[in-house]
Amino acid sequence: MMILASIVELLSSAWLAGLVMLGLGFAFAVVLLIAHEKLKVEVDPKIEQIHAALPNLDCGACGFAGCGGYAKGVLENPELIGKCSPGGADVSAKIAEILNLQVSESGPAKRPIVHCRAHTADRVYFAEYQGIPSCTAANALANAQACKFGCLGYGDCVRACKFDALHVVDGLATVDYTKCTGCTACSKACPRNLIEMVPFGHENMMTVACSSRENGKSTRAMCQVGCIGCKLCTKQSDAFTVEDNLARLDYSKYEPCGENEAALNKCPTGVIVHRGPTAPPPREPKAKQAAAKA
Amino acid sequence: MDTVYILITGFLSVVLINNLVLTKFLGICPYLGVSGRIDMAFGMGLAVTFVMTLSGTLTWLIDHMVLMPLGLEVTRYVCFILVIASAVQLVEMYLRKFFPPLYDSFGIFLPLITTNCAILGLCLFLNLWGTDSLLEAVVLSVGGGIGFTMAICIMAGIRENLQMVDVPECLKGAPITLITAGILSLAFMGFAGII
Repeated sequence: MMILASIVELLSSAWLAGLVMLGLGFAFAVVLLIAHEKLKVEVDPKIEQIHAALPNLDCGACGFAGCGGYAKGVLENPELIGKCSPGGADVSAKIAEILNLQVSESGPAKRPIVHCRAHTADRVYFAEYQGIPSCTAANALANAQACKFGCLGYGDCVRACKFDALHVVDGLATVDYTKCTGCTACSKACPRNLIEMVPFGHENMMTVACSSRENGKSTRAMCQVGCIGCKLCTKQSDAFTVEDNLARLDYSKYEPCGENEAALNKCPTGVIVHRGPTAPPPREPKAKQAAAKA
Repeated sequence: MDTVYILITGFLSVVLINNLVLTKFLGICPYLGVSGRIDMAFGMGLAVTFVMTLSGTLTWLIDHMVLMPLGLEVTRYVCFILVIASAVQLVEMYLRKFFPPLYDSFGIFLPLITTNCAILGLCLFLNLWGTDSLLEAVVLSVGGGIGFTMAICIMAGIRENLQMVDVPECLKGAPITLITAGILSLAFMGFAGII
């Protein structure tokens, strides 16, 4: 009897609390439902489909912050198809299918080439750099490394790479072309703009692995493997030009033919090299070969 | 004149001297989690300020108009959490509609404002400090939000600069962030006893 009485007493005071809670909950639910109607966000199901077709690496090669942004962007502006370099032609085709479009043939996939081939032993240093171990910081200071154009080797590009495709080997950034997806992150990270995105029309490409615009004498004083602008390569092959004391290869004209190989072999500093997944190791400069013979 | 004086001192007190984050250690989770970049930190600060103002005012009203007259103080926490959760839901819908990049960058930290102890803390402090007018409750709620925004923006500014610095390997990430928060808190201790 006592227990029953206490339960009845409890219930008689609890109904008010319950009513208040119910009222409050109902009021807020109504407010939220109205807000939901007013602030509804329509999501196009195609965005989800495109997002699912993308590699989901969020590398930023397309110019958007991540794959989600690119999916939205490409839906609004179909000209952006093909900007996804890690995905390549497969992804472009899939996006085109979702958007009911045809992809036009794009050029060969682009891969980065480092325009420097000097390892620590090949370079001349004026002083020892002990600052923050980053290329951007080292580049902002007066030169500890003699060459103002060459690779600093503190690995800003290595940190930018999300695919473990870049490593600093003996003070030189070296691309692992088997892992590279062509996302352009490294070429944006390099404070000296050494890394160029090159259309790889062949499995291995040839390149002039130097960026020094100093005259031949100064370049030779700073680096054993720099381009001295001697124009020997231009006499062997039309694909080469020399401007500002620096040889450059026109990649659209490049074929793995005898003329270009001859240019590579004539180069006195061995600065013309093969780059690619199965590229042979670079030639030693003439001076080193002579020293080895003697 | 007296009320204006009380309002001004109350506002300064809750922004600087009794800053919820830096002296009472409330709301640390977004303070450390979303303070990586200053624009995100400012957005988070505004979101928290909005939720704090809304819930501080509404809970004061509910507390004084409904719960206290009916003698239902025991349901205070449930009601307060209900108000805060609804306010956060509103903010979430608003951000998703009008600021999608901000919404994406907040991630889990936006719904986590629901259980941000700075907000529930402020609602309870309003009761604890014996706030007896609605105007005072509104001013203190806004002040609490502004104090949070200030703290998180200062923190984000320091952390942005810290990225340029050669931090020792063993302190990278969370440790240096916590040390920064500690030193900042130490600095704000200097305001103690001004009013």
